[in-house]
Amino acid sequence: MAPNQPAAPPPPDPITTKSLSGPLLIAALLLIAALGWSIYHEEIGLRPWRAYQARFSRVYSAFLEKRLAERRAAEKKLHAKAEYKKLEAAYEQAAREAQPKDEAIERDAALVASQRAAMLHSFVTVRAYVGSLTYKYEEIPNTPAYRSDKASAFRTMMKAREAKHEIAWPVGGGKTIKRYFNAEELNTEFTKLLDKQAELVGARAKADAPETAAEADVKDYESRTLPGVSAATLNNLLHKARSLTYSIHQLYDYPPGGSVNYSGGGILVTRCQTCHLAMDPSLVPAALTITKADLGLAKSKNAPFTTHPEPILLQIHSITTFGCTTCHNGNGWGLDSTKIAHGRYEHWPWPLYYKENIEAGCQNCHNDAAWTQYAPVLNRGRFLFRVKGCIGCHKYAGFDDQKEELADAERMIGNLEREKAGNVLTAKELNHKGDNAATNAEAQADYNAATNLTVENAKIETRVTALETEERNLFEEVKKVGPNLKEVKMKLHQDWIPYWIAQTHTFEPHAQMPQFRLDPDQVQAISAFIWQDALTGPAPAKQAAGDPVHGKKLFMERGCLACHSIGEGSSRIGGDYAANLSRVGEKDKYDYLVQWIHDPRQRTEPYDPYLKKDLTPADYKKAGLPFVFDAEHSTFEGHPIEWENPTIMPSFRLSWQDSRDIASYLETQRTDMKYAPAPYMNDPKLFAKGKALVMFYGCAGCHEIAGLEDQGRIGVELTHEGSKPLSRFDFGFEMANAEEGILPDGKKAPHGPWDTVRGFIEQKIKNPGVYDTDRYRPNPENRLHMPTPALNRQDLEALVTFVLGSVNPDEIPPYLLYKPTGDAAAIQKGWWIVTQYNCMGCHQIAVGQQSVLENLPMYQGENSVNLPPVLTFEGARVQPQWLKGFLANPALSTTDTNRDGVRSYLKVRMPTFYFSDRQISELTSFFEAMSAQPLQYVPPTLKPLTPQETAIARAIFTSPAAPCLKCHMDGNAQHDKTSSAPNLLLASGRLQPAWTLQWITEPNTMAPGTAMPSGLFRRENGLWVFNGPLPAIAKNYQGDMADLLVRYLFTMTPQEQQRVLRATPAGQ
Amino acid sequence: MLGNWHQLWVIASNPDNVPVVALIVLVPFFTWFGLRQAKANDRLIEKLEKDPELARTHHRKTQPYHASWQKEVHVWPYLLRIELLAAIVVTVILLVWALTVNAPLEELANATITMNPAKAPWYFLGLQEMLEYFDPWIAGVLMPTFIILGLMAIPFIDENPLGNGYYTYKQRRFAIWTFLAGFEGMWLVLTLIGTFIRGPGFMWFWPTQTWDPDRVEFLTTRNLDQMFGVNGKWLAHILPASQQPYAELWAKGLFGIIPVGLYMVLAAWIFYKIITSTPFSRKIFSRMSLLQFVVMELLLVVMLSLPITFFMRHLLRIKYVWETPWFNL
Repeated sequence: MAPNQPAAPPPPDPITTKSLSGPLLIAALLLIAALGWSIYHEEIGLRPWRAYQARFSRVYSAFLEKRLAERRAAEKKLHAKAEYKKLEAAYEQAAREAQPKDEAIERDAALVASQRAAMLHSFVTVRAYVGSLTYKYEEIPNTPAYRSDKASAFRTMMKAREAKHEIAWPVGGGKTIKRYFNAEELNTEFTKLLDKQAELVGARAKADAPETAAEADVKDYESRTLPGVSAATLNNLLHKARSLTYSIHQLYDYPPGGSVNYSGGGILVTRCQTCHLAMDPSLVPAALTITKADLGLAKSKNAPFTTHPEPILLQIHSITTFGCTTCHNGNGWGLDSTKIAHGRYEHWPWPLYYKENIEAGCQNCHNDAAWTQYAPVLNRGRFLFRVKGCIGCHKYAGFDDQKEELADAERMIGNLEREKAGNVLTAKELNHKGDNAATNAEAQADYNAATNLTVENAKIETRVTALETEERNLFEEVKKVGPNLKEVKMKLHQDWIPYWIAQTHTFEPHAQMPQFRLDPDQVQAISAFIWQDALTGPAPAKQAAGDPVHGKKLFMERGCLACHSIGEGSSRIGGDYAANLSRVGEKDKYDYLVQWIHDPRQRTEPYDPYLKKDLTPADYKKAGLPFVFDAEHSTFEGHPIEWENPTIMPSFRLSWQDSRDIASYLETQRTDMKYAPAPYMNDPKLFAKGKALVMFYGCAGCHEIAGLEDQGRIGVELTHEGSKPLSRFDFGFEMANAEEGILPDGKKAPHGPWDTVRGFIEQKIKNPGVYDTDRYRPNPENRLHMPTPALNRQDLEALVTFVLGSVNPDEIPPYLLYKPTGDAAAIQKGWWIVTQYNCMGCHQIAVGQQSVLENLPMYQGENSVNLPPVLTFEGARVQPQWLKGFLANPALSTTDTNRDGVRSYLKVRMPTFYFSDRQISELTSFFEAMSAQPLQYVPPTLKPLTPQETAIARAIFTSPAAPCLKCHMDGNAQHDKTSSAPNLLLASGRLQPAWTLQWITEPNTMAPGTAMPSGLFRRENGLWVFNGPLPAIAKNYQGDMADLLVRYLFTMTPQEQQRVLRATPAGQ
Repeated sequence: MLGNWHQLWVIASNPDNVPVVALIVLVPFFTWFGLRQAKANDRLIEKLEKDPELARTHHRKTQPYHASWQKEVHVWPYLLRIELLAAIVVTVILLVWALTVNAPLEELANATITMNPAKAPWYFLGLQEMLEYFDPWIAGVLMPTFIILGLMAIPFIDENPLGNGYYTYKQRRFAIWTFLAGFEGMWLVLTLIGTFIRGPGFMWFWPTQTWDPDRVEFLTTRNLDQMFGVNGKWLAHILPASQQPYAELWAKGLFGIIPVGLYMVLAAWIFYKIITSTPFSRKIFSRMSLLQFVVMELLLVVMLSLPITFFMRHLLRIKYVWETPWFNL
């Protein structure tokens, strides 16, 4: 601006004079730091499993050192034992004896080996060279154009084949001779040497046989007296543990098909063992179990070093086939962090199951099983799914789908009938065409086609008959979870109904019926509809008052408590399969209750699904029939009718008096509660509204309701609920809370964020209306209408486990799915019936399973003899034909029914379940299969007894050492009351001889704690001999005495029984 | 409901959105930084213009400036060392980014489940947002083509040699405003909307509003012809019999020409006014050929149609102004 003014020294140019060293240095240091960081990240940050491996190496080595020291001490002690020394000396002796022979063989072997080595090079080279020349010759086309090429190749090949090769051939003693071989001879000689070597190995084994056997004896003795992992193995493991280098441990497999955790080309990859190192069989063999305490890490929350807590599960599911993620879920590839590896992040659809739901993994593959061994939580979940009435609204494949099957069968019959009619018409046409055909051949073809159709129709006919049988079975099998509401007028006190609907869980905290969320006007409408919709008669017969004291005794004894419970809170006893009866007196009318206890199947009126109405006495009269409906009168004008209540509750075959007594007792079960009068119950204006509500809430899923017999299930099908993508669950306004891990009640969720499938299911079952929170729903019909089941914490988790594990089997490789065949299939079929009818309330059926009754106070200690029989061996014990008869009629009599057919001395009684024919045969197969019996039973032919044998058998039978009739029933009413075993007259028709033989010789191994004495026979020279004073005539008996007794029992007649009774009065 | 800060944090901390979050800071900063330099340079230019003597000897056109400083400096070391520094800093940033944020991989693709919201990668979010306002064919094909061809055409439209090699605002005012409006005002805003505003169902969620997939929103829109009740009834009397069934289509198609035509004329006129508003811009305008001017007008009119449609959609709930069987505008 002013260049001619004296200039101040110009400021330095920042671009040319300013140094950038400082920023460059800082940037360079930052770069180095970032590089350092990336190296750390690469080595440690991304590989957290290295820390686990280092720690495992340390603690496992320490563990093995301790084990090794203990084992060595134990082995040392063992080696000092005389018996061991003896065996060892024998081994050494054998080894010494074998030595000279061994040495000779070894010399030969060494010579052969040196000869092989000498020729190996020539042999290999010549073979390769000749092979290639041969191929070259073969490759040239055999056409005139190539004739000379081929000929020249042939010459080259033959030259190579015939050339002689010199080999310095060892002949022993370090000497060699010169030998010459062409290609063929080399081959022959080499094969010869191989044969010779094999021969020598064989000779060696033969020479060493006594030595090997002696060594095996030593080892066998060692493993017998000192089981577990040997010191040598432990030492190897220790070496492995100490020298463990960082590496990814993984299982890798290509299973065919499927996609759960197999995605990405159908590969099973499980790297879980990288941190869970004890699950790597090469590091920790199956024989070794390691707990946290073993490693001194009992208190550590971060020590994934234990072996599988249930080794039996790994025996069934080989880890190399199933990996870890098949059962447990989680990300089998993931190694970056625990969160990633366990799949607990939003982008892994299969997060690891939490401990409380771990058995959901079983359900993945055992998805159509009724009962799964080793999965008690899952089994509980399945049990609850049915008894809590979930099945009333939610379809689940396999569960109680008789109604659907019935509809299918009906549809199929319809189709077949139409096909048949069509065939008749077509056949007629064909015949007509044949009559007018131009040639004989054509006519014949038409006639043949017509005949074929006639045969086809005959086939259809048989198919229809089979379907009709199936329909009949299904008809008997349809059951409802709740009672028949057509009978409420006969059964219930009017004012109680609205209270129950509104306050279900106040009245009965354990009720099977869930609690609905209803407005008071809805309660009134529903109550009024049910009341007005119910039948009005014919009323049950008037009953005289019974004896409540005797009633209580019967109630406690007969087995009611296997399903029902009584008492509240800590005094509650009994099963939770059916209702708690503590307040039943407040709701039930006496006359109906008596009839119900006497025969729960007795309906007021039968229902005709064809006419879609309840048949009144007037209807019967119009049809000219008496008003009778039962098993024998199960049709009306040709179509089947529902003649029994669709309830599981069986008939105990009680006398009317006993029924009155029990009912009188139950009527005393009440509080002083007064119910508000419900005058609106008869208000016809409420009927339509009530009906709409009853349909809306799906009441007919569990109850039989007039006019709604055909209503289907209203809920969503849950068969594949666990596979539903998360985005299809509507969390409503709870989503934000779920993402932050805050439960609907404001508390922190124990597992953190619950925006997962499990989280949804758990909160939904706990409080089904929860996802309506904050929604404006003035119209109740827009609210979520699933009611709240009464569940404790464990039961809630059991149901969550069941639903969570219910995934779509298409996602699982088919070969992993549990698809039982043969015995296993028969067992599964039976389990469906066993669980549906709660057989396990009274019986122990599977080993390890407990019945409800055996935990009741009145069956403890000595009183356990009063328990119903254990059925773990039932299929082997009884003959299938007999079992079928027994299941159909447990009284084994058509006239004298107020008793147990087999064990009439028991107070608890086998009730009549009115199984369908199909159920009976499935149950029989079930018991056969459970006892590993062939499904076709062929009764063996027993050798008849000689007079001498009869005398001996009779002597044993009545011997004071084995007073059979002291405990076994003998037909004398007085004696039978105090008996504790069935009448032996039943044996021949009921029992299987093989089982009986086993039972009389070793009962305690079959049913530990049984009253049947063990040790009646002893084993002598492969025969059973009676273990008591023998009569003189038996002294020289050559046969098996136990077998003799069995044959005697199977020929027992009433006369014989009376005869021995006279000889030895019962009780002696 | 507003106030869900957790939701905002979830979006902002999503690995997918790192570049967009960075844009929020970096773009304003560099805009300010560039404009500051431009302003400083403008002052220098003014000084030089006033002092021809100085301009002859010292015409380094960038600040800081001193008369005694060298007119030019060498690339090495003065430029390259700065570039080296920048390279190192960028490398450090990329390293730290790669170490701390994993690639946003998701679950295995499942053809039967569509993710919600299904969003384009961050650099295409603007394009995806445009699809909300125009026919797919226009927003997805025509407009991107205009953008690419338009960017390629800039050097041929804008022949102003001033501003090459140095920052200036005064000499490039029109270009700078066009860029700010087009890139920052529209493209960037659309990207931010796509990142922070569009939630499940591609619904409009204000920041801190919970992304509820089951949210119910009033989204019903109408076309301009519906608002004017165009139904073609009167047209049916004029049309030949063969076309009468299509009277409504004809009416709508003809009707749409009016607003679209009006807009184009009006917008072109406004741009003409702007470009002839100052003596400097008039000088530039006078240098332009007719072809250059027409192409520029076309590009600008198309560009302006985006914010117009945006406001019509959000404030007036108008979907289309011109309906034809072949395209909708």
